[in-house]
Order: sequence, then C-alpha cells, then structure tokens
Amino acid sequence: MDTLLANLTLGFSTALSFQNLGLCFIGCLVGTLVGVLPGVGPIATIAMLLPLTFNIDPTGALIMLAGIYYGAQYGGSTTAILLNVPGEATSVVSTIDGHQMARQGRAGIALGLAAIGSFIAGSIATLLIAALASPLTALALLFGPAEYFSLMVLGLTFAMVLARGSVLKAASMIILGVLLSTIGTDLETGEERLTFGLSALSDGIDFTVLAMGLFGFAEILRNLENPEARAILTTAIGRLLPSREDLRKAIAPILRGTGLGALLGILPGNGAVLGPFASYSLEKKIAKDPSRFGKGAPEGLAGPEAANNAGAQTAFIPLLTLGIPPNAVMALMVGAMTIHGIIPGPQVMTRNPELFWGMIASMWIGNLMLLIINLPLVGMWVRLLQVPYRLMFPAILLFCCIGIYSINNSPFDVVLTAVFGLVGYALHKFGYEPAPLLLGFVLGKLLEEKMRQALVISRGSFATFVERPVSAGLLIVAVVVLVVAVLPAIRKGREKAFQEE
Amino acid sequence: MEESGTAKGIPQDLGAGLFLVAVSLLALWQGADLDAGTLREMGPGMLPRALAVLTGLCGLGVGTRPFWSSEAQEALQAWSLRGALLIMGAALFFAYAIRPLGFTVAGPVAILLAALGGKETRWIEIIVFAVVMTAFCTLLFRVALGLPIPVAPWLLDY
Repeated sequence: MDTLLANLTLGFSTALSFQNLGLCFIGCLVGTLVGVLPGVGPIATIAMLLPLTFNIDPTGALIMLAGIYYGAQYGGSTTAILLNVPGEATSVVSTIDGHQMARQGRAGIALGLAAIGSFIAGSIATLLIAALASPLTALALLFGPAEYFSLMVLGLTFAMVLARGSVLKAASMIILGVLLSTIGTDLETGEERLTFGLSALSDGIDFTVLAMGLFGFAEILRNLENPEARAILTTAIGRLLPSREDLRKAIAPILRGTGLGALLGILPGNGAVLGPFASYSLEKKIAKDPSRFGKGAPEGLAGPEAANNAGAQTAFIPLLTLGIPPNAVMALMVGAMTIHGIIPGPQVMTRNPELFWGMIASMWIGNLMLLIINLPLVGMWVRLLQVPYRLMFPAILLFCCIGIYSINNSPFDVVLTAVFGLVGYALHKFGYEPAPLLLGFVLGKLLEEKMRQALVISRGSFATFVERPVSAGLLIVAVVVLVVAVLPAIRKGREKAFQEE
Repeated sequence: MEESGTAKGIPQDLGAGLFLVAVSLLALWQGADLDAGTLREMGPGMLPRALAVLTGLCGLGVGTRPFWSSEAQEALQAWSLRGALLIMGAALFFAYAIRPLGFTVAGPVAILLAALGGKETRWIEIIVFAVVMTAFCTLLFRVALGLPIPVAPWLLDY
C-alpha cells in the first residue's frame, strides 16, 4: 500500500507539471474534437493526431495520446447520443436509450449522465490499474517465451470470438494480419521476406500505415457510399446537470457498469467491447419495469457508458504490464510508444517509473478534464456535427496524408496507406472486420519472435507449449473459448448480443 | 456514379474466399525461394509459408460458405470504383508531389481531387476550403509543430 501511494505521488507530481497538464488538456480537447465527427472512430482519430505528439518528450507525448484516446471515446458517445450514429462498436449501446432521451428533449441530461458515469468509471478504473500494475508486472517477469506465445494465442482467440459476424471470417482476418506482419527482414537471418523486391518494405509495414489505411481511408470510402443519413438535431440540448433524483437512480447502474466493464477490459482480445452490452442486459434484467428500456431509460445509458469507459481504461493493463495490446486501439498505442523509443512491457515500470506512473495519474486527470471541458463545450460540439461530410472528408484525407508522411518523412508510406485504403474498402465489401486483422498484425511479430525463442529453448519440440503448466493452462482456456463459441446454442446467444448493432 | 465490378447475385462470401485465396497465392509466390528450415531451426520461410497456406484454407472455407451455411447468403454489393480511385488518387498525388512541389501544391490539389470523388461537389466552396485548409495546416504542422514538411521548395527553399 505504501509503495502504491509513493508511486501515485510520483505519478501525480509528473502529471501535474505545467507542461503535462497542458498536454493532457490539449489531448482531451482535440481528441473530442475529432472523435465527435461522425464516421471517425477512435482508431482513425488517434492515427490522425499522432503527428501532434512527435516533438514532445515521451512522457508528455504518451499523456497527450492518452488524453486523445479518452477524448475520442467521449466524443464518440456524444455523437451516438445526439445523432444516433455510433462512432465505434462500444458506443452502439449508447445510441439505444441515449438517443431516445435526446429525442424526448433530455439531450443535455443524457450527455451529463454519460459524462458523470464515465468520470466515476474512469476514476475507479485508474485506481484499479495502479493497484494491479505492480503484481501483474511481477507476474509478467516470470513469463518465458512459451507462456507469452500461449497468452497471445489466447488473446487472438478472444478477438476471434468477440468479433462481429462469422468466427471463420474473423479467424481469416487474424491470420491475414499475422501473415502481413511477416513482411520485411527476417529477425534471425536478415533475409528479406515477401517484400516484392521493394527496399521500402524491408523494415516491414509500419503499423500506423496499416491502421490509417484500413480505418482512416477506408472509412471515408465507406461513408461516401451511404447517403448522408444525418438525423438533424431539432430539439435543444436543454439543461446539462441531471437532477439529484436522476443521479440517485443512476449511481447503482454506473457502479455495476464500472465493475463489468473493468473486468472485461482486462481480458486479452478486446473484452472491452462486451462491457456495454453486458451492462445493458444486466440493467434490463434487474429493472422493475424492463419495458422502459429502449424508450429513454437513464439506467440504459449510464450503465453502459460507465462500462465503456472502465473497459477503455483497464485495456491499458495488459499493454502496460505484459506489453500485449488487447485491442486495435491499444495496438496503435504500441505503435505510438515505439515511435518514442519505448517498447511496452514489464520493463517500462522499472526503467521509466515517471513515465509509467505519470501516465496512470494523467488518466484520472484526463477524465476530470473531460468532465469539466465537455459539458460547457457541448454547444460547440453540436455545431461541429453540422459540418457537411462533403467538406469533412477531404480534410480528413489531408490530415491522414500529413500524419503518415511525417512519421518517417516517407512518401512511400502514403502510397502504401492508399493501397491499404483500397484493401480496407474491399474487406468491407466482402464482409470482413478489419479490427482483428490489425490486432493479428501487431501481435504477429511478437508471436513469431516468442515462438521461435521457445522452440530454440525446447530444441524444436512443440511439446514445450503444453508441458509448461502456465502455457498449457492458457492454451486450454483458448480451446475452451473457441469450442464454446462455435457450439450452436451459444452461437445463437452471441448473435443476439450483437444483433442490436 | 457508375457502379462497376460485379454482376448482381454473386454471393459475398464467394468473393471473400477468392480474395483470400488470391492473397495466399501471392504470398506463396513471393516466398517461394525462402528457406523453410526445420522446426528446431526455423528458417525465414517457414512461418510466411505456413500462414499463406492457412490463409488459403480459410479462403476455401469462407468461399464455400454460401453452399453449406444458411447465414452466408448475402450477395456482394456493387462497388463505387470512381470514388475509391479518385480519393486514393488524391493520396497518391500528395505522396508524389509533397517533396518536389511542396505542400502548397500537394495540399489543395489533394483536397480538390478527393472532393471530386464525393457525391456532390460545389466548386467555389471547395476551392475556398482547399486554400483555407492549406494555410491552416501549414501554420499548424510546419510553423507551430515544426514538422519537416516541405511547404514550397520551388519558391522559398522552405
């Protein structure tokens, strides 16, 4: 407990420096600004805003990025509530009751509840991260290559099961992602693999290039196809602060949502996406009058919003302690950290304690800032929602191009991004989800490295993965998860859970 | 907008499967002369080849879904190639123009090209917008953030 306090003190003293406070504020602000735009999800937002952080020291840059991430999440819920357009899978649930509240003239209350719920969830999740960071890091140091390999396999299995649509198609995307990650120079022999003779590919595909192509560019192409189905907000926002009565009713759902979201967020393989769904069904199940749900029930908004934010935050735990990103957004954070010369993993906490604890402390500060800056600025966000897409998409494209170009000052990266933009568009037409591909790509390099290390240690025997107890346990869980997911009875339930999308 | 690329009624998953098979063949061809090594000492070619084969198998699985799964009956939608090509063309122009011509050319032309790929283009509006955005981005990225983006090398050496 003492060390936890000492660590948090170190963190807050880092995060509260004038510069870092400013960066956190700017991050939250621009994150919300871009995240609020309909059709721009958190992945595209972070990728687009990455260049803003290039000339900052690593601690400040990560604090700003974390701010951008929460801002993007928060902006997504605003769009979901006001326009019924979910920016990403996790804010789908917010559109159900949140948008109904907005239609009934309670848009302000809905936004206020979402903000307060997110803040409470974020505060609890920050504490949880701080408490779990040390023990999990200690655990991670005991992991050998075989355990790491099996843990990643488990993570990818979760990602496969939790993706929308067919499990086979999600599996295909993960394998394709891992295949793409093998492009470039071989780790051991230095031979070039699958580079098509292009020297620009010898370092492999840059993660941000892939992310920006599949999400930034491809999203533009997809959005352009759908005619602008923009529900124009006719009702006024109204008062923002919920009444004491509203808050009293919402607090229990918020706490339950926080618990669910935080737990699911820690799971490897994008468990966070389940949080809002789980919270919504729980609230509906225990409500005295379930028929109110879908017609603007505040509990149906506050709980899932809290779950969403808690999960968004605890998703940092596997990244910071094990170095394994649990979802595509966290994978992008890996890319961002690598640009600043930091390899995420258990060593970060011991080698860069100010960075590690400063970032954790800034998570809480960021949540507080979001609460303070967003409510008064709601009017501005609403006005931003009225910018027509015909102006927005060329601007998004330009920002993406500048961002990609400035990562390595490489025009070829922009070309490659355009290629992946077309690939992303094709994937969409073929009914594939790009998020598992991205995760497979990021984990692919680590997966190969750990697998080859483990096989060198075991002298080429694959038995090592099942002989070591921890590794075997992780693989058994992976098999169980997969079997359960393809069993017909459970498959029906899974479809139902995703049906509301 | 012309819609091209597909005839009506091709099952979506058939196309999806063929796509994976094509990727798999491409990877197998590219990795053909890489040494696979043995399990004890894996060569550089082992994983790419194994993954390419897996991708191909997934492709076969997905591609045949319309014939065995009742859930996979959706038809492939039409593609709007004009928008896709113009918008990706805008990015390509940006890539090739940024070094020799600088941002003052690459920026506005990319915006105009992209706007052409949209459904409605209002010329005066988009031209004004392109100029304003170029100025804004120059100030933000070059002046304020100090990123080394060539602005107008042919004019100012900046």
